[in-house]
Amino acid sequence: MTAMSETIFHTKDLTKVYRSGAQEVHALRGVDFQAVRGEFIVILGPSGSGKSTFLNIVGGLDTATAGEAWFEDHQLTALDERGLTQYRRDHVGFVFQFYNLVPSLTARENVALVTEIARRPMSPEDALALVSLTERRDHFPAQLSGGEQQRVAIARAIAKNPEVLLCDEPTGALDSATGIKVLEALTQVNRTIGATTLVITHNAAIREIADRVLRFADGRIVEETVNATKKSPAEVSW
Amino acid sequence: MVISPLRLKVLRDLRRLWAQVLAIALVLAAGVATLILGNGAYSSLYETRARYYDDYRFADVFADVTRAPRALLGDIREIDNVLAAEARIVKLALLDMPAMAEPGTMFLVSLPEEGDRGLNLLHLRQGRLPDQQSTREVVVSEGFAAAHRLRPGAPLTVLMNGQRHNLLVTGIALSPEFIYALGPGEMMPDPRRFGIAWLPRPALEAAFDLDGAFSNVVLKLAPGASVDRTIEALDRLTAPYGGAGAVARKDQISHAFLDAELKQLSAMVKVLPPIFLLVAAMLVNITLSRLITLEREQIGLLKAIGYSSRAIAQHYVEFVLAIAALGIVIGISAGVWLGVGLAQLYARFFSFPFLIFTRDPQIYGLAAAVTVAAAVAGALLAVRVAVALPPAVAMSPPAPADYRARMGAFRRLFALRQTRVMVTRHLFRWPLRTASGTFGVAMAVAILVASLWSFGSINHMIDVTFTRAERHDALVAFGAPEPARALFAARQMPGVLAAEPFRAVAVRISHRALSRKLSIMGKPETPILSRVLAPDLRPMAMPEEGLILSEALADALDARPGDLVTVEFLEGTRRTVTLPVSGLSLGYVGLGAAMEITALNRAMGEGALISGVALQIDKTGQEAFYAAAKTTPKTGFVAVTALTVARFKETLAENITVMITVYVGLAAIIAVGVVYNFSRIALSEQGRELASLRVLGFTRGEVSGILFGELATVVLLAQPFGWLVGYVIAFGMVEAFSSDLYRVPFVIGPEVYVTASLVVCAAALASAWAIRGRINRLDMVEVLKTRE
Ligand SMILES: Nc1ncnc2c1ncn2[C@@H]1O[C@H](COP(=O)(O)OP(=O)(O)O)[C@@H](O)[C@H]1O
Ligand SMILES: [Mg+2]
Repeated sequence: MTAMSETIFHTKDLTKVYRSGAQEVHALRGVDFQAVRGEFIVILGPSGSGKSTFLNIVGGLDTATAGEAWFEDHQLTALDERGLTQYRRDHVGFVFQFYNLVPSLTARENVALVTEIARRPMSPEDALALVSLTERRDHFPAQLSGGEQQRVAIARAIAKNPEVLLCDEPTGALDSATGIKVLEALTQVNRTIGATTLVITHNAAIREIADRVLRFADGRIVEETVNATKKSPAEVSW
Repeated sequence: MVISPLRLKVLRDLRRLWAQVLAIALVLAAGVATLILGNGAYSSLYETRARYYDDYRFADVFADVTRAPRALLGDIREIDNVLAAEARIVKLALLDMPAMAEPGTMFLVSLPEEGDRGLNLLHLRQGRLPDQQSTREVVVSEGFAAAHRLRPGAPLTVLMNGQRHNLLVTGIALSPEFIYALGPGEMMPDPRRFGIAWLPRPALEAAFDLDGAFSNVVLKLAPGASVDRTIEALDRLTAPYGGAGAVARKDQISHAFLDAELKQLSAMVKVLPPIFLLVAAMLVNITLSRLITLEREQIGLLKAIGYSSRAIAQHYVEFVLAIAALGIVIGISAGVWLGVGLAQLYARFFSFPFLIFTRDPQIYGLAAAVTVAAAVAGALLAVRVAVALPPAVAMSPPAPADYRARMGAFRRLFALRQTRVMVTRHLFRWPLRTASGTFGVAMAVAILVASLWSFGSINHMIDVTFTRAERHDALVAFGAPEPARALFAARQMPGVLAAEPFRAVAVRISHRALSRKLSIMGKPETPILSRVLAPDLRPMAMPEEGLILSEALADALDARPGDLVTVEFLEGTRRTVTLPVSGLSLGYVGLGAAMEITALNRAMGEGALISGVALQIDKTGQEAFYAAAKTTPKTGFVAVTALTVARFKETLAENITVMITVYVGLAAIIAVGVVYNFSRIALSEQGRELASLRVLGFTRGEVSGILFGELATVVLLAQPFGWLVGYVIAFGMVEAFSSDLYRVPFVIGPEVYVTASLVVCAAALASAWAIRGRINRLDMVEVLKTRE
């Protein structure tokens, strides 16, 4: 577990077909993918190209139609509902476009929600400190701005010390200045806890802060770019 | 025909929300059904009885005398307002049935003589009336005939005045006088051991040595006549002939029991239907409120394109009216079905020539109208919100639920988990809805507490009466008072281990302007077999001089220990004396007064007389005792405690299953209706949050736990409130039902609360189970894609 280039994820010919009635939608058409521990990967691609579907399958939220997806030595595509839940609970942190905070819990409580069921969590206070929200910890979601809510969501996602952090358009609902703050929080977290991070975004500028950039089109990975030198979010011109 | 789009939406909504719609409709239906059942049974019983009384000329006044010459009848007919008077011979006889070892009593009544112009006419079911000159022919009551499989032509042996008479059944009949036929010393009608036999007068005159005399007179009065004044006049005429005081129809046993039943029905109508309709209105309100919240944008759109507020209100009201209609249809069907069942149940207790469950359209119309009103009332509050929405506001999504920290101290106190905090905050966020849900579940508990307690109370009453007070195995009442030495004769009877005398004397006791007619029981100084209990259940010794009044009598007379009451003896010397009240006793059935037997005889100015004996019987000598008791000429009737208690318990057991099924069903309908709707609404509001939690790695069980935690909180909160309301209703019922006839002890054991809560919790669990599938199917991916 010490090797820097250890593979944490890989998928083989991952395929997803949605069937609604007679219609078939091929969301993924055979995706082969690998990620190493600690990597920061940005996923780009047009709407409908299968990015979310891919992220949901490697995150254990959805199941594949064919092919394999592996996390370490767990074959995700062979797990049942219970196994997937356990996988999400123990290893994965999620951040979504719409934050999905529990409105009846304060920022701190939203984070504690996860730390209470995690195996080796950090304290909710530490998690909030990582996203610079210590002062707002006793506010309810309705009392926070969009960017603050998203940072709470990130704190919630990382508080369990996950091996992977999956973010689906985390800045999609935010203005760009706020978006930077959120991305800063993500890279900060990626560096601090070493979680392998996959970020889906429409914002092409973000690629410069990544280790690697994948481009999806029509259910496949069509382009892969490795960044030799990645920039910090503050250096990027959005 | 073109259906307007809004109406189409009503239909689609109904289909989409069918389970919630059905749950609400069932609660409404329970209201309709109980309303129809209660009002219907009331009017059926009331109308049937009125018609029966009318058609069969049921008397208004009844009086017993020892022996009065028939010539007195002329004077009686002269009393103001007396339309008709009939002199009768009414006596008890002992049954002598080959197939029945235990003692049974036959109530003998002379046949009405004037054909259709007589009173208390018979309704002949089979055969014919006896020939007026015959001394053998007899008509028997239908229940008795059925219990012994007697048909016209069957022989029947009875012991009159100690003498065996072989009679011949010529017919089987009913009489308005014996709709509820309770034997002497019994607690429940038992047609096997108690029957009525109508014989021609000459036969009875001969058997009881009453040539040209009568022992009972019944009167029919002009409508609106004063019953009290007539009774006064009648009592003056009959006093010289051993008149024990006339009674009005309202105190006639059969009539009074029917009245008690009618009273219970009208109490039921006042309690049950309002509960259901209230709960249903509340369910309509919370369900519709949620629907309207979800449809804000649609409402805004409709308004923006020109639909009037009125049209939108009408749309939602139509939705509710459809639910009400469904409830009414189910409720009427259930009500009629239950009504027919109740009529059959009544037919077992009450002997009517006909008893049809009401078809009165007014009753059904009223039930429907009240139900629609309840549903619409529930809808109006919710619809008002929709009407008030300005189109622009309606089209933007509602602001996120705004929670504030309001429970800091509470939380620190209990160190709640975050999921519990969610539950608590959500419950506090919609306090009205939480209160409604709690109220609804509490009503389910209350219905059960208010119905189940009575069984425990009845058992308590039986237990106290027969293990602490009336501890004798049998009681022999003599046909007429006997000298004290009859006690020694009784001790000599086979099977008798111990005997204790009693004296029963008809009296009128007055205190200030209040008076009551009853029997004073004279008992030994320290009774052993037939004891009088103090309110704390301790046996009481008979005072040297004074009277012990039952609590019911003391209340009726407004008399307390130490007061002096006037006692007018209605037999023997017919003296009037003043006696002190020495104490109060417990008494569940009827009015009671007791005193020491020699003091009673002294007060009456008579020698040492006894009216009967309470006996302890050796089990192995039982049969021999029965045989001997029958043939002793002194015996008026024999009551066997074990048989009385067995019959009582048997009757209770027959009804208990039906009653419990009905009440448990009603409570379950409320509990399911409330819990199911409550959980569907909670799920609709929190589905998104719960799906998010699933994403975070919460298991299905943990996520269900949040929703169920909310339900459990509501259900648990409701329990004590339900117990309290049930207690209050039960207490009200005890107060409403206590009369001179009955005084039900108010005993609610813990098992009543436990049973009520268990039933309701089981119903809640079942409905929670029903939405488990929905929680498990929460779509995690979907929730991530959309903003609420
Ligand atoms: N639940 C679903 N049912 C049917 N088709 C779906 C479903 N989810 C996604 N799709 C389809 O799969 C394709 C990929 O979707 P998605 O992974 O969400 O794309 P992206 O995230 O790249 O925009 C799209 O064509 C989309 O319409
Ligand atoms: Mg997407």
